[in-house]
Amino acid sequence: MNEQSHRSVSRRSILRAAGASALAAPLAGSLLTACSTKSTPSAKPNTTVTVTSYGGSYNDQLTKTLLKPFEKKSGVRPSLLANTSLAGLKAQVQSGDVQWDLVELTAPEYLQAVDEGLLEKLDYGVINDKGLPSYAKADYGIKYLSFLFVMAWDQKHIPDEQAPKNWEQFLDQGRYKGKRSVYAQLSDSSILEAARLAAGVPFDKIYPLDVDAALKYLAQHPGRDGLIYHTANQEPIQQLTSGEVALSTSFNNRISAARKDGARLNFTATNSVVAGDYFVVPRGARNKEAAFRLLDFMSNDAAAGADFIQTTNLTLANTPALAKLPSSVADSLPTSPKLADSILVRDDAWWAKNLKATEQRFKLWQAGN
Amino acid sequence: MTSTVTPAAATASASAGAGAPRRRRRPRGTWLLLLAPVLAFDAVLFLTPLGKLVAASTHDHAYQRVLKDPLVSRSLLNTFEISALSTLATVVLGYLLAVVIWRRGPLARVILFALVLLPFWTGVLVKNFAWAVLLQDNGLVNTALQGLGVTDAPLALLHDRFAVVLGMVHYLLPYAVFPIFAALAAIDDRLELAARSLGAGEASIFRRIILPLTVPGVSAAGLLVFIISTGFFITPVVLGGPGDMMIANQIDFYARQLTDFAGASALALLLTVIVSVLVAIYQRILRAGGEYEAG
Repeated sequence: MNEQSHRSVSRRSILRAAGASALAAPLAGSLLTACSTKSTPSAKPNTTVTVTSYGGSYNDQLTKTLLKPFEKKSGVRPSLLANTSLAGLKAQVQSGDVQWDLVELTAPEYLQAVDEGLLEKLDYGVINDKGLPSYAKADYGIKYLSFLFVMAWDQKHIPDEQAPKNWEQFLDQGRYKGKRSVYAQLSDSSILEAARLAAGVPFDKIYPLDVDAALKYLAQHPGRDGLIYHTANQEPIQQLTSGEVALSTSFNNRISAARKDGARLNFTATNSVVAGDYFVVPRGARNKEAAFRLLDFMSNDAAAGADFIQTTNLTLANTPALAKLPSSVADSLPTSPKLADSILVRDDAWWAKNLKATEQRFKLWQAGN
Repeated sequence: MTSTVTPAAATASASAGAGAPRRRRRPRGTWLLLLAPVLAFDAVLFLTPLGKLVAASTHDHAYQRVLKDPLVSRSLLNTFEISALSTLATVVLGYLLAVVIWRRGPLARVILFALVLLPFWTGVLVKNFAWAVLLQDNGLVNTALQGLGVTDAPLALLHDRFAVVLGMVHYLLPYAVFPIFAALAAIDDRLELAARSLGAGEASIFRRIILPLTVPGVSAAGLLVFIISTGFFITPVVLGGPGDMMIANQIDFYARQLTDFAGASALALLLTVIVSVLVAIYQRILRAGGEYEAG
């Protein structure tokens, strides 16, 4: 324990010194990127960085496309956990025992965490912001990922030509018997927006979200009995492939990954909702410099970034990587201008303000009130 | 043979021991010394966290907020209903099972106890998932029912209150069987012989001798089962629907989804107080049972 903390202190001071000297020089950002990811593989060979995300196929993809190449380049050993949560981050920061270094949060959770002072300010001296699109750069986190909240179906029960094209069809009990699985939480799921879209509300009139109207719609289409809930991102894949449901909400990358594994599932990007996740560094993280370097790598390394995007079908906030993609891939990404007219952009600010109250309201509705 | 009956015998002597009338006085202070290791253990691992919980629950008007939340009243009601239903089913089934075991010869007893204990030693998660597999739309039960032509479409067996109670009863059964068996085993055989010699039939013997003498065992079993029921968390998650949320799930919702640690602490303390009251009643019943047996 003691030995470790000595080691980390000395590592920190070395990195701090490096940061200071780089800041003193002009062209600070690019110089430091060069020195942190190329010339000095690592100050100590056993530096680690603990990353948390949502698990399942996504964690495998993160490891293969971003974490392994980062380890190779920097010598920092990342370990990836599957149980990311704002609650876990908050508990660690408040107890002073911070185990996580880089934590994935949904956009409303990010804004809440900033509000509650749970995060380290990012050091854009270490993270080169050159690769970051303007929407992605923030003081306490990087909105590194954009994904689509989609309707997905089991092709064994619903052939593609009979599949729902919009949320009205998706929720129509007359059109599809049986249950639909929807995400029980709302912090990165947009089922309430979907209900409003189904009721015919246009994209630009969805926010401020009329929660009561959305729940009223769901109570009739498909009705409480027509819904079951999932609480993890990988769960709908199991529910769909096991035949428990034929329709589910999910995220585009999860369905793509399942398809690559041979599952007969499909989804449509039309009428989906684009949302984003942040990577943040908890206040008091033990390896925050390593976390910053990983963020720098993710936002700037073109080869690894392009591999991630092609593997996941998600937009990574990494301009050099996006520039490298063939147009066939680029056009299908959540942030593609080609999709812009047919998808809804989630309003993070509205959700940050209303998340807790709406979660409670939704939970109560699920329970039958 | 004797060794296999030990768990039950141990329970029997324990419950009888609790009611043993008077003991010789030992020098004052000895009991404190004997309790020291447990007290130290409790202080570090139970009282300290409990103190922190109390402290955390005093922030942000947590109690007012929590008690005003309709979800909380709903899960309190659920907790009470589900626990009561599970307790009733468990005690009735447990009583029948205990009587059957009590009436059998030694070999059958061993086998039956093994059958009670085997699920007892299996994790609750494993048991719950097993039920989920059995009860789902394309699970064994529905496939069999449809195969036999009993039903045309799958019955909705999973994600409802029935499934929750089923999963809980499966878990709780041993907790009822042992105290009830202990009460049965403590009955003096000669009472039955005497009753028979006076012309009492089976039904009369059961109603007038066995049932009254096992009441303390049944009460103890019922309360124990009820206390355990109130703390269930995973069964409503795996087998229940959104309307079957119990108080432990509510605490989890406050802590994990609302990240409202003060509210979660207040709820946890609420549960602690309720269970403590029940435990106090349970202790009284045990004592009363002992006196009853002794008298």
